Amino acid sequence: MRKPTGFTWITLWTIFVYLFMFLPIGVVVLLSFNASQFGSFPMTGFSLQWFGELATNDAIIRAFQTSALLGILTAIISTTIGVLASLAMVRYDFPGKTTISTLLIAPILVPEVVLAVALLLFLQLMNVPKSFPLLLMGHVIFTLPFVVLVVQARLIGVRRDYEEAAMSLGASPIQTFFRVTLPLIMPAVMAGALFAFTISFDDITGTLFWKPGGVETVPTQIFAMLRNSISPEINALGTVMIVLTVGLPLLGLAVMRQVSARQGAQAGAPA
Amino acid sequence: MDSTKRYERLRERLGNGGLDRRQFFTLVGAAGLAYGVQMPFASRVKAQDVSEVRFDGWGGVVSEAFRDKAFDPYTDKTGVTVVDGTFGSGDEYLARVQASQEGEYNIAHLSGVFDYARYYNLGYASNLNRANIPNLDLVIPKLVDVYSAVSGDELSCVPFDYGTTGIAYNRKYISDEEAKEKGAKLLIDEAYKGKIGGWSDWRTRMWYAALQTDQDPNGATDVDAMWDAVRAHRDLVLKYWTSGAELMSLLAEEEIYVTEGWSGRIYALQEQGHDIGYIDPPNGFGWQECMFVIKGSPMAECEELLNFMLAPETSIAVAEAQNYPPALDPSKVDLGSKIPTLPAFDPSGTLSGLTFADPNYWNGNEADWSKTFGRVQKGY
Amino acid sequence: MASIEQAERRAPWILLSPALTAVGLLLLVPLVFVLVYSFWLRSAVGGIDATFSFNNWAEVLGDRFYRDILLQTIKIALITTVVCALAGYPAAYFIARVKGVNRGFLLLLLMLPFWVSYIIRTMSWINILGVSGAVNSLLQAMGIVTDPIQMLYNETTVVLGLVHYLLPFMILNIYVSLDGIDTTLEDAAHSLGATRWQAFTEVTLPLSMPGLGAGALLCFVLGAGTYITPIILGGPRDAMFANLVFDAIITQLDWPLGAALSLALLVVLGTVVVVYNRFAGLGQLAKGLG
Repeated sequence: MRKPTGFTWITLWTIFVYLFMFLPIGVVVLLSFNASQFGSFPMTGFSLQWFGELATNDAIIRAFQTSALLGILTAIISTTIGVLASLAMVRYDFPGKTTISTLLIAPILVPEVVLAVALLLFLQLMNVPKSFPLLLMGHVIFTLPFVVLVVQARLIGVRRDYEEAAMSLGASPIQTFFRVTLPLIMPAVMAGALFAFTISFDDITGTLFWKPGGVETVPTQIFAMLRNSISPEINALGTVMIVLTVGLPLLGLAVMRQVSARQGAQAGAPA
Repeated sequence: MDSTKRYERLRERLGNGGLDRRQFFTLVGAAGLAYGVQMPFASRVKAQDVSEVRFDGWGGVVSEAFRDKAFDPYTDKTGVTVVDGTFGSGDEYLARVQASQEGEYNIAHLSGVFDYARYYNLGYASNLNRANIPNLDLVIPKLVDVYSAVSGDELSCVPFDYGTTGIAYNRKYISDEEAKEKGAKLLIDEAYKGKIGGWSDWRTRMWYAALQTDQDPNGATDVDAMWDAVRAHRDLVLKYWTSGAELMSLLAEEEIYVTEGWSGRIYALQEQGHDIGYIDPPNGFGWQECMFVIKGSPMAECEELLNFMLAPETSIAVAEAQNYPPALDPSKVDLGSKIPTLPAFDPSGTLSGLTFADPNYWNGNEADWSKTFGRVQKGY
Repeated sequence: MASIEQAERRAPWILLSPALTAVGLLLLVPLVFVLVYSFWLRSAVGGIDATFSFNNWAEVLGDRFYRDILLQTIKIALITTVVCALAGYPAAYFIARVKGVNRGFLLLLLMLPFWVSYIIRTMSWINILGVSGAVNSLLQAMGIVTDPIQMLYNETTVVLGLVHYLLPFMILNIYVSLDGIDTTLEDAAHSLGATRWQAFTEVTLPLSMPGLGAGALLCFVLGAGTYITPIILGGPRDAMFANLVFDAIITQLDWPLGAALSLALLVVLGTVVVVYNRFAGLGQLAKGLG
C-alpha cells in the first residue's frame, strides 16, 4: 500500500458525497419510468410512455433546444470575457482594483428578481423590446461572477515565471497566453464554462422576466406547469440528459479501450 | 432629491414626446449599446401590422389543449399567429406586464375577480366589442355580471373557467362526517398540529379566517379576530404550499392530512386513486378565471381569438385537461361526460351555490392585508 | 520605454472592458433605477407613486422584522458555507489526487444534478425524507422506528437543500486550486519528516486557500440570496431575506419597498465581498504565493 489509509477515508467520504448529490436525481430517474401521471411512490408500474410522449412533445423539445443554445452561448461569452477580466485582475496592478473586483462579483449579490425587474424598467424607458440576445446578455451577467471567481483562483497559482520565460524567448503576449497561460488555467476555464452553462440552463427568475415572446426554456416550462402538475415528461427529459452526459463519455472510453485492445492484438498477431 | 426630480422630468418629457429618442440616448449614454443589442430583432414586438397575437397562460396540458383546439385553427383561418407564453403565477405576470411596453402582452389567462380589478385599476383595461365574440352568449351570465361591479358596461375579458378552493382531507385519518361538521375550523384543529397545510396566499388565508371566525368573507368586520385565526393556523401548519404540484405531493405523500385545496387538483388526486375527500364549506371560496385583453392590444384580432377559445370544443378540451369546469352554460351547451363529474360543477348554470369574492372589498384591503400576511406568515 | 509602460497601464482596462461594459450596462444602470425607486412609494392600486420619500428606508432600517430575517439569512448562509467546505474539501482532494479515473468525468458527474431542474430536484426530497419517503421506509423496514419521523420542512432541510445546490460549486473551486499544486511539494515535506497530516496542513491547505475562499464566497453569497429553497423545503418560519424582496415586488407590487430591501441586502453582501477582497482576496493571496 503506497497510499496512506487516510486516503481510504477520503475515498469513502467522496462516495458518500456523490451519493448525496445523486439522491434527488435518482428519484427523478425512477419516476420517469412510473406508469401513473402524478409522480409519487410507490410506483404503480414500469412504463416507457413518458419517453414516447416526450419525443412527440414539441413544446418541451423546443424549450430544451432553447435552453441548450442559451446555455452554450452563455458559457462561451461568459467564459471569454471572464477569463479576460481575470487576467487583468491577477496579472496587473491598477487603481480601483478592489472596487472592480467587487463589481465583477456584484451580479450575484443583487437578488435576481430585483435585477430582472430593474433591467426591464430600463428597457421600458429606452423603448427597447425584449429579445433573445438580451436574454443571453442577462444570463452572461449573472454567470460572469462564477467564471471570474474560479479562473482567478487558478490564475493566482500559475507562476508568472512561465509566462515571462516564454516572452523572453520572443513570444508575443498573445502567443504566450495561448501557448502557456491558457493550457495552465484550462481546468478553471472548463469549470467556469461548466458553471456558466449549468447556471444558465437552470435559471428561472431572470429568464421568466426577460424572455421575449415565443421563447420558453425548460425551467420556465416547468414553472408554468406547477399550477397543475409537472408532467412526467420532464422527468423523462432529465433521464435522457443524464444518460447522455454519463453514457456518452463512458461509451467513448469503452470504444477507445476496445480499439486500442484490438490494435494491440493485431500488432501481436502473426502477419 | 435633485436627481430624482431630473429623472422624473426626463421620463415625463420622453413620455410627452418633448424629447426625441435620439436626444434621450445621448443623454443616457449607455443606452446606445442596448439599442445595438436589439437592433436586428427590433421588429418583433413593435410590429403593429398584427401578424401575431401574444397569449400568456399556464403551461403543460392546458397550453397543449389551447394550441390544438384554438390557436392552430385560428391561425389557419386568419393568418395571424399566436405566440404563446407562460407564467408561473398571476402576481409574477402582473409584475412583468408593469415593466413591459404597451402592446407587448395581449391576452392572458388570469384570475377572474382579483386580477380583473387590479388590471382595471392599474389602467390596463381594454374595451371588448361583444358583437365580435358570439360565443360569449354561451357563457354563464353570472360569471360576466361579476365584472360589471368593476368596470360597468365595458368588458376587458371573457370568463373562461371556474372552481373552488375547498377543504381537502385524507380520509384515512379524517372522516367525511368530521370534515363536514368542523368545516373551515378543521384547518385550525389542534388535533392535527403538524399535519395541516395551507396555500401561502393572503386572500385564501383571510377568506378562511373569516369562515373560521364565523364572518362573511365579503364583509368581515372583526379583522383582528381574522388575523388571530391566521396565526393560529400558521402555528399548526407543517408548511405553506405554493403550487398545485406541491399541494398534490404533500397530500399524496401523507405529509399533511388536511389543507384547503383547489378543486381541480384534488379531483386529479382522486382520479389517481388517492383517498382524499373534498368539501366546500358554507360560503366556500369560489373563483373564476378569465381571458383578459390588455390595453394596447389589436382588439379585433384578440376578439376573434377569444371567440375561438370560448368555442365549446376548446373550452371542453381545456376543462378536461385542468379539471376546472368551463364558463359555458350547461343549459346551452352539451359539455360531454367528464365535466359534469368535476367538483364545483353546477349543472343548472346559475352558480347560485358559489360565493365569489367581491372585488371592491378585497382590493380595498389588498395593500394592507398582503403586507401584513407577509409578516404573519413568517412568524410575526 | 514610456510607450511600453503606457501599454502596460492600458492593458488591464482593455482586458476588463467587455466585462465592465456588460456589468455597467446590465447591472449598474438598472441599479440606479433601483436606487431611485427606493425613494418612491407604492400607489394605492399597486402602481408607482413618484414622490420622494424616506419611508421605505425608515421601514427597512428601523423595523426589527427585517433585521431578524437578515440575521437568520446570514446564519443559514454561514452554516451552509461551513458544511459545504467541510464536506467538499475531502471530495475535491480525492478528485485532484485519484489515479486511474478520468477526472473530467468525475467533475461532470458532480454537475449532473443540474440537468434536472432546480425546482424538481428540490421538490423530490419529499420522496427521500418524507414520512412515506425512502429513508423512513428503510428505517421502518429495519425496525428502527415504528412511526415515520417528520424530517422535512424546517431549518435543517433548508440547509440540506442549499448544501445540495452549492456543494458542486465548492468542490469545483477547491479542485481547481488543488489541481494546480505540485504534489511533489507534499511528498517533499513528508520525506523531510512531516506527518502526512502536517504536510497537508503546512503545504497543501495554504496553497489551496484561493479555491476554498472563492468557493466559500460563492456559497455564502448564493446561499444568502436564495428564495426558492426556503419556499419548497422550509416551514412557515423559515423565510430568508430574498423571500421578503420577492414578496414585496411580486406579491405586494411594492416595488419601492422591494428596491430598498434589495439594496440593503446588496450592501450587506457587498461588504462581505469587500472584506473578502481585502483580507482573503486576490492581493493578499497573490502576495502569499510570492
